[in-house]
Amino acid sequence: MENTTLAHHLILAGLLFVLGLTGVLMRRNLLVVYMCLELMLAAATLALVAFSRFNRTMDGAVLVFFVITVAAAEVAVGLALIVALFRKRGTVRSDELTTLRD
Amino acid sequence: MIPFLADIDPLFKVLAPRSADWLTILPEIAVAGLSLLCLLQAMFLPKALRLLIPVTARTGLILVAIMALTSGPWMQSADLTSFAGLLRQNLPTDGVRLVFLLSALLTSFLAEGFLRDRDAAIADYHHVLLVVTAAFMLLTQANHFVTFFLSLETAAVGLYVLVGYLRRSEASLEAGVKFLVTGGLSSALLLMGIVLVYGALGSAGVADSLNFTQIGKALAAQSAAGTVSPLTLTGIALILGGVAFKLGAFPFHAWIPDVYQGAPTPTTAFLGTASKAAGAFTLLLLATGPFAPLATKLAPLLAGGAVLTLLAGNLGALATTDVKRTLALSGVAHAGFILAAVTAALVVPGVEAFGYDVEQVVVFYLLAYVVGTFLTAQALVALPALEDHRRPQLALRGLLRRSPLLGGALGFGIGSLAGIPPSVGFIAKLLVLALLVSAKLWWVLGAALLGVAIGIHYYFSILREAVVRPTEDGEEIVALELPFGTRALVFVLAAASILGGLFVLAGR
Repeated sequence: MENTTLAHHLILAGLLFVLGLTGVLMRRNLLVVYMCLELMLAAATLALVAFSRFNRTMDGAVLVFFVITVAAAEVAVGLALIVALFRKRGTVRSDELTTLRD
Repeated sequence: MIPFLADIDPLFKVLAPRSADWLTILPEIAVAGLSLLCLLQAMFLPKALRLLIPVTARTGLILVAIMALTSGPWMQSADLTSFAGLLRQNLPTDGVRLVFLLSALLTSFLAEGFLRDRDAAIADYHHVLLVVTAAFMLLTQANHFVTFFLSLETAAVGLYVLVGYLRRSEASLEAGVKFLVTGGLSSALLLMGIVLVYGALGSAGVADSLNFTQIGKALAAQSAAGTVSPLTLTGIALILGGVAFKLGAFPFHAWIPDVYQGAPTPTTAFLGTASKAAGAFTLLLLATGPFAPLATKLAPLLAGGAVLTLLAGNLGALATTDVKRTLALSGVAHAGFILAAVTAALVVPGVEAFGYDVEQVVVFYLLAYVVGTFLTAQALVALPALEDHRRPQLALRGLLRRSPLLGGALGFGIGSLAGIPPSVGFIAKLLVLALLVSAKLWWVLGAALLGVAIGIHYYFSILREAVVRPTEDGEEIVALELPFGTRALVFVLAAASILGGLFVLAGR
C-alpha cells in the first residue's frame, strides 16, 4: 500500500468508469444498465477519495458522503420505477420499450 | 489522515452559518416548508377538505414570490455571498428565482384537474413539485460544486418521480425509466467532471478547488501562464456536457421527445420551462463565472453547439406530427436560442442588447417561454384524449369552435412561441438576435433566423388544425366546459403574452 500513487488510483477509477459507461451504452437489461450507472458513480467516488487523500484537502472526502446519499436516493426512485414498469409490461429490456414514438 | 482532522474544529467555527445566512435563503426554506405542509394536510385533513391542498400550495407560492420581490436582502445590485461561499446571490439569480416560482404555480393549476381526471394523488404531486422548485432555486445560486451537485440531483430525482407519476400509464412509466437512465448517465458524467476539476486544480495547489470563485481565479492564472492541464479541460468538458443534457442541447437532446411525450402533460410543461431554465442559467453562470478565463476555448464549442441545437430542434420538430413531440423538439430549438445568447456573452464580455445585459435577456427569454408554453399546455390538458401519450395534430381539430377560449389560448401561446410580433416571444427573440449582431456571430445569427422561419411553419400547422379545419361533417360540436380558474388564468397569460414585451421595450 505504501507504494501506491495517485496515478494508480486514477487509472483504476478511470477503468471502472469506462467499464460502467460501456455497460450503460451496450447492455439492454435495464437492471444491468442501472448497476453500470452505479458503477460510474462509484468510480467517481474512488477518484474523489484518492484526490482528497493525495492533495490533502478535506472537501473531496466530504463530497463523497453527499454522493453516496444522492446515489441511494436515485436507486430508491429508480428501482421503484423499474419495478412498476415490469409489473405493467412484464419486461425490463430497453429495446422492448417502444410505446413512445411518433 | 489524522493531522488535518485537528484543523476541522477551528475551521468549523469560522465557517459555521450565521443567522444572516439563513435569511438569504428564506424563499427556498419557505417553499420547502410548503412542500411538507402538503404532506401534513394529506395526512390530517378530512377527505372533503382535500381540495384545499393545491390551493394552499398556490397561495404559498404567490406569497413567497411577493416576499422575494419586496423584502429581505434580495434584489440588491451587489453580489451577496453566504454560507462561507457556498451560495452567491445577485440580481439575475433573484430574477430566475421568480421564473421557477411562476412555472411551479402554473404547473399546479394544470396538474389539479389533470390528476383528478386520472384519479392520481394530488398532494404527493405538489409535494415533489415544490421540493424540485426549491432545489432549482438553490441550484442557480450555487457558488460551490457541493451545493451545485446536491441541488441538481435533488431536482433530478424529484423529476424522475414527476415524469413516471401515472403508475397505470405505460407511457408515463416508460418515459420515467428513459429519463432515469439518461439522467443518471448525465449525472455520472457531471460528477466525474467535478472530480477531475477538483483533483487537477487541487494538485496544482489551489486550496478550495470546489469553490467557483477560487476555480475562476486559478484558471485565470493558469491560462495566462499556459499551464491549464488536460485533466482540467476534460473535467470542464464533462461538466458542460452534463449541464447541456439538462438544457437539452445538441448532442444531448435525444431523450427529449420521448420523455416529453410520455410524461403527464403538467410535468411536460414543468420540464420544458423550469428544468430548461435551470440548465440555461447554470450554463450561463458557469461559462461567465468560473470558466470565463477559458472563454476563447469555450466560445467556438458553444457557438457550434448553438447552431447544431437550433438546426436539430427545428428540423426534428418539422418531421413530427404529434403535438407534444413537436413542442418538445421546438423546446430544443429554444434551448439553442439561449445557448446563442450565452455564446454572445463569452465572445464579447458585457455585450448588451437595447441596454439589457445577457443575464437580463436570458431571464426575460425564459419568462416569455414560460408564458407561451403554459398557454399552449392549457389547450392540450383540456382536450379529452383516449391515449394520453398520443396527441396527433388531428386531436386539435375544431378546437376553436368547441371552446373559443382554449382556441384563443392556443393562438396566443403558439404566437408567442413562434415569435409573432408584438408577442412577448417576439421581443425575447429580438433581444437575442440583437445580442448576436453586437457580438458579430453571423453563423449563429443565420441559424437562428432560419430556425424562426422553420418554426413559423410547424407552429402554424398546429394552429391550422385548431382554427381552420372544421370538424367532420355531421359531427356534433361538443362545447368544452372550463372551470373559472382556468378561464381567468388564460386571460391573465394572454394579456401577459401581449403586454409583457411592450413593457420591456418601454422600460428603455
